[in-house]
Amino acid sequence: MTATALPAETATAAHNDPARALAVRSKRRIDPTYYWMVVPVLSLFAFFITLPALVGVFFSLTNYAGYGDWKFIGLSNYVNIFKDPAILQSYIFTFVFALTTTVVVNVVALAIALGLNAKIKWRTGIRTVFFIPMVLSALVVSFVFNYLFSNTLPVLAERFGLTPLATSILANENLAWLAIVLVTVWQAAPGATIIYLAGLQSVPAEVYEAADLDGAGSFRQFLSLTLPLILGYLVINVILGFKGFLGTYEIIVGLTGGGPGMATQSVAMRIFSGFTGGDYSYQMANAVIYFLITLLISVIQLRLIQRRGVSL
Amino acid sequence: MQRSNSEPHPEALPAFITVLSQPLPYFGSRPVNGVMAAATLPSRRSLFRVAGLAGAAVLIPLSGCAGHAGQQNGVTTLRFMQNKPEVVNYFNQVIKDFEALNPDIRVIQDFNEGNFVPGLVRNDPPDVVTRGFATETAEFVRKGIFADLSGLPVAKTIDPKFQDLISSWGQYKGHETSALPFSIAAAGVIYNRDIFAAHGVAVPTTWDAFIAACETFKAAGITPIYGTFKDAWTLRQGAFDYVTGGMLDVGGFFRDLMARGANIPQSAPESFSNHYRSSLPKILQLASYSQNGAASKNYSDGNAAFGKGQAAMYLQGPWALSQLVQANKDIKLGTFPLPVTNDPDQTKVRVNVDMALSITRNTRKRAAAERFLNYLLEPSVVNTYNEKNAAFSPLMGAPAVSNPHLRGVAAHVAEGRYYQGAGTYFPPSVPMNNYIQSFVFNKNGEQFLTAVDDEWRRVAERTAV
Repeated sequence: MTATALPAETATAAHNDPARALAVRSKRRIDPTYYWMVVPVLSLFAFFITLPALVGVFFSLTNYAGYGDWKFIGLSNYVNIFKDPAILQSYIFTFVFALTTTVVVNVVALAIALGLNAKIKWRTGIRTVFFIPMVLSALVVSFVFNYLFSNTLPVLAERFGLTPLATSILANENLAWLAIVLVTVWQAAPGATIIYLAGLQSVPAEVYEAADLDGAGSFRQFLSLTLPLILGYLVINVILGFKGFLGTYEIIVGLTGGGPGMATQSVAMRIFSGFTGGDYSYQMANAVIYFLITLLISVIQLRLIQRRGVSL
Repeated sequence: MQRSNSEPHPEALPAFITVLSQPLPYFGSRPVNGVMAAATLPSRRSLFRVAGLAGAAVLIPLSGCAGHAGQQNGVTTLRFMQNKPEVVNYFNQVIKDFEALNPDIRVIQDFNEGNFVPGLVRNDPPDVVTRGFATETAEFVRKGIFADLSGLPVAKTIDPKFQDLISSWGQYKGHETSALPFSIAAAGVIYNRDIFAAHGVAVPTTWDAFIAACETFKAAGITPIYGTFKDAWTLRQGAFDYVTGGMLDVGGFFRDLMARGANIPQSAPESFSNHYRSSLPKILQLASYSQNGAASKNYSDGNAAFGKGQAAMYLQGPWALSQLVQANKDIKLGTFPLPVTNDPDQTKVRVNVDMALSITRNTRKRAAAERFLNYLLEPSVVNTYNEKNAAFSPLMGAPAVSNPHLRGVAAHVAEGRYYQGAGTYFPPSVPMNNYIQSFVFNKNGEQFLTAVDDEWRRVAERTAV
């Protein structure tokens, strides 16, 4: 960020003084250190991320299986994707999942952050406990929950006579996605909580003192003071969370593997299936479409951020 | 926060460096296979090759980077890829014996199958390969990845009916032998002999007798068939493959279907809707004899439970036998082919080529690879392997199986009364396991058939061009 700020400053300076502008232009305008910092990262990024992505875009126009012979087939992969109900279903699932999870994660995380920010006993210890899910690998977490849902919960439900719960929620096509939401929330909430805690600590205590003097209750304080003051943090959490949940993969693999039936196949899973399924170019086309959609969402969200005056 | 999935695998970097450190002409117009040699734009193509390498290095998690094995001090180093982690020790011993007899060849065993396709992309595949032979391997054959083995003397020792299991998938250029079978697995109904004896049930040879047996067990409060529906593949391998293979001509069906190409309306006589409808009620009937809560049990749950005698029958292949014995070393097991019709002579058993040996077409160590392959197919190696792993040897004149678990299906295999599972014919891009699981849960046969027909047509359309 600093690197981009610098030329802007020199440019304004140059605008004010044409003679100096010439001198500056003939010399190096930016300290070479910035190049040393940026160029290696940029070239690594271009080589390992941008170039492969472009290769993927290229192959989405072919019938390449990942190996062997191939030829150009134009846009027919793209046309076929729009005719494929299984792909459409994975998009619907992914977006419903991402929206629900984003809402639940933020509500839960904000509630936990408010609790952890209050003057309570053992605050540091409790905070640590709440952050444990963050250090655990999502795959491990989902395998553990898989076991709980498939074995422990049904046994408990049977013992207490709750027959509807006696079969695993993961085996239910209509409810399995809720299990995925639950585990994702459990895993993702601590990260959001940290950001909210940082936000809450940035709110000066005087604001609340003033509100107390005015006789505002704690709920009113939360609505009218806390929420507006940490709105930037909320926006960041929503944007980062939504972006992450759109790429959901490992928790689903650990819990349902995309099943039962086709009920919980996320877009990322479909795309990844192209590597093993000999369906490389088709899923690359899917990836390009998904990239464009997420790009669009990012642009909209960035607009929102700029309007709110927060930056990432 | 979620970790992004596009993050390069930590091990991708060293693998990529290996690629780069190879001599540059490697990137040139060396074709991946014979078909590629016909390329008209070598320079552009090689550019994409480089780009593709970069892509593969980043996108595909490569684990372990086998060094570029070559010829050193007159010793040729071969890379042998096999895909079964449980038999690594057996092959280590085989390799040791082989190296003792052939001091000029060194063999490295690579049991990471995930490396195979990246190896093709890098044009550095293993020299000798063994894989299960089904759709995916057949696709490699169609792309000319494997060398022709028909000229090898050892190819004549293979029983032709087992070689047919491979050639029925199509041969490269219509006549080449791209793979030789090494191990044939026969899957049927595994049953608990003690439970059968205790209830006076004989091994059923007709569908009606089978259903009667299920009813007997049910009435006695015993789960007739242990279901592990959470692992969708067990439904495909079990109920779906057994019923369709037992009552339909699966191989012929797929031959006709593939001949039709992408032009298959649902009403066509070759469609799934037309062919498979009659088999669906029996699949559901099989599933209905499973225990309550089968939907939340997976394969390993099933092995543990069946091993403890919690059900009379289990629709699994020989790969489960060792697990079952591990769960309960006193268990008395047997296998019989599922009778799906009421004519015992029609009963067939599901087989699959569990291991098939190939040599990659582009290997620079063809002679050494052929010597190793010859050694692998020596009766002492191949028969011992199959004896140890509850499978059938593909060699002519192989000794009859002595494994008591397999006696019930041995006759069917010897007489060629078998089929390859319908589920194995689907390309991996059709999530067949999930469709079958969905069908068993919702019992909506119409939806299932339509979905499979549509999915098959879509895949045929996009792979036909």
